Amino acid sequence: MQIYVCVKHVPDSAVNITIVDKNSIDENITFLLNPYDEHAITEAVQIKKNLPGSEVIAVCLGKTDARNTLRSALAMGADRGILIVSENGCDSIETAKALKAAMEQDGSPGLIFTGRESIDAEGMQTMFRIGALFNFPVATNVVKLDIEADRAVVNSELSGGTANTYDMSLPCVIGAGRGLNTPDYPTFRDVVNSKKKPIKTIVFSELNIEASLAGANIIELEPLQQKREPKEITGDKAVIAKEIVKILRDKAKVI
Amino acid sequence: MNKKYDAIIIGAGVIGSPIAYELSRMGYKTLNVDKLHDAGEGSTAGSCAIVRAHYSTADGVAMAYEGFKYWLDWENYLDNVTDEKGLARYMNTGSFLIKSQGHDWKKVKKNYDEVGVRYEELDNDKIKEMVPPADLHEFWPVRRPEDPKFFDEPANEVEGAIFCPEGGYVNDPALSAHNIMRAAEAKGAEFLFNAEVVDIRSEDGKVAGITLKDGTQIDAGIVVNVGGPHSFKINKMAKGVWEGCNIKTKALRHEVMYCPSPDGYDYLNDGYHMSDGDIGCYVRPEVGNTFLIGCEDPDCDPQEWVDPDDFYAGKGGHGKDNVLTEEQWKAQCYRLGKRIPTLQVPNQPKGIVDLYDCSDDWIPVYDKSDLPGFYMAIGTSGNQYKNAPVVGRMMAELIDACEKGLDHDNEPFQYKFKHIDRSTDVGFFSRKREINYNSSFSVNG
Repeated sequence: MQIYVCVKHVPDSAVNITIVDKNSIDENITFLLNPYDEHAITEAVQIKKNLPGSEVIAVCLGKTDARNTLRSALAMGADRGILIVSENGCDSIETAKALKAAMEQDGSPGLIFTGRESIDAEGMQTMFRIGALFNFPVATNVVKLDIEADRAVVNSELSGGTANTYDMSLPCVIGAGRGLNTPDYPTFRDVVNSKKKPIKTIVFSELNIEASLAGANIIELEPLQQKREPKEITGDKAVIAKEIVKILRDKAKVI
Repeated sequence: MNKKYDAIIIGAGVIGSPIAYELSRMGYKTLNVDKLHDAGEGSTAGSCAIVRAHYSTADGVAMAYEGFKYWLDWENYLDNVTDEKGLARYMNTGSFLIKSQGHDWKKVKKNYDEVGVRYEELDNDKIKEMVPPADLHEFWPVRRPEDPKFFDEPANEVEGAIFCPEGGYVNDPALSAHNIMRAAEAKGAEFLFNAEVVDIRSEDGKVAGITLKDGTQIDAGIVVNVGGPHSFKINKMAKGVWEGCNIKTKALRHEVMYCPSPDGYDYLNDGYHMSDGDIGCYVRPEVGNTFLIGCEDPDCDPQEWVDPDDFYAGKGGHGKDNVLTEEQWKAQCYRLGKRIPTLQVPNQPKGIVDLYDCSDDWIPVYDKSDLPGFYMAIGTSGNQYKNAPVVGRMMAELIDACEKGLDHDNEPFQYKFKHIDRSTDVGFFSRKREINYNSSFSVNG
């Protein structure tokens, strides 16, 4: 089976983002593999282990330096990469069309992964648009996935912590959520081995994508100003411990 | 009327606080001023707080070994003061110095013998027994991942290690400075926070006091610059001080990484501090079972000199601000990944970026200045945390001796260590010295 994983080159969430000309950002910052896509790659590589003869192909639409993100995907276990180079930003319609065209040009997808969303635009559209273009079923925020012959049994987490289970035909599109797995990060040996893995470069214009009648442009970006408001927790040790557990459970939602 | 003290100490980090503590114990009325909101919240908080003995000079080894005795007896050093935040803890892990071309370990061994530091020499089998995930191939010279040779297969093995059973780290460096502040306050010292110094005033060729950003003037006949990465800016405020220093200081940006320990290796509880010049890294355990990975300043790494104010405001730009870079994240994690082959390196950098107050030869300046009454404990170059309590006492005695008429420039003060039977010539740390080429010119000091 050819398993395609659509990955995105996004700004590191820890950097200082500066908005330039109202609608773009200063890109002289660290970019990396979209964190949700790490779950997608990890799951795809795991499925490949159980389906001998399968291949994991990472596909990325971005500027030339998005090659680094593909290298990260290869170090995490993808077999090869495809970089669609576009120096101009694409909207979600063009993005989905370009990813579809590149996958079709390359092979025949048996399963397509994306992250649940990208942490920069947070559009949450790519997986649905790809599904619509291929006429494949789509599930998002997937936290459990079982591939059974020509079916996929999918657990998709909804807001509020509830989940739906779907039985989907293959091929299908899976939007990986955080609960799907623990990302399997590369060792130095994995990095060395991945350097031999190929990345095919396609220029966006070579895909001959039909211009869309519809489209969206970014007019204005507004920076999120998060103020840190430290608060001291006082009281005896038992009270402090109780308060910390409450914060971790209710506010941070990590336990 | 201006408030008046015997001594104003600019900075309330892990060096400024013990100077106040020791001067107060000697009867001086002191005030520490710091632009931040609490003790130890500047570059002290970003310190790896490693306590190890290996330095490139015997005096350096002696001072570090003397420092151990303070950390091991922390409560007594603080005169059993109570700190509402609790006490910092010294974690004695033991300390490896890998024998490699990256360290002049033979010189270190000679220095250990001279000072009487306890150590043993280990072969590679013994290292493997103590650090099971280690690959002891030799990876020298240190390179960057941008260099294709970084990925060359190694052929030889390192030559073993020198292991000191004494050595480790302090679990909370900011808290340790806070502890010393509380101890100093118990002796009468005062601390003023959120107070930025904008001028050092002098009268009749002698220091007279400081002026704060809000215009407040505070008087003192003694002013001590312990401004950490801001030290050069403070020296420039004091008449003739900057010009009178042969050794200058600058702010050097440094990144420290947190990388999770491999599955099955409880590095937090079973791991050691390790100084590994062969890969240009030092490591120690950190909470969450992670490796804290520091950089030993190999020649191939860029040195990012920055303006400390821009840096802390996050306005310096890529490689100049307080945000980790992917380039250095990969460099340090992959270097350690050679030594620990099962180490998995996440894509997102995690760690701390802070500044060294770096001197021209990476050896501090603990000295008077050309302006009478103005003293300096600066240029700590990322390697003086462990010495802080020793420096506090040494600076207090130096200041006291100079104020009583010692001509320190011509007859350097000799500091007698309190725990080990040895003295050190404080002239070694003079601002007037020529660059000391015995230095490692790195964080190793």
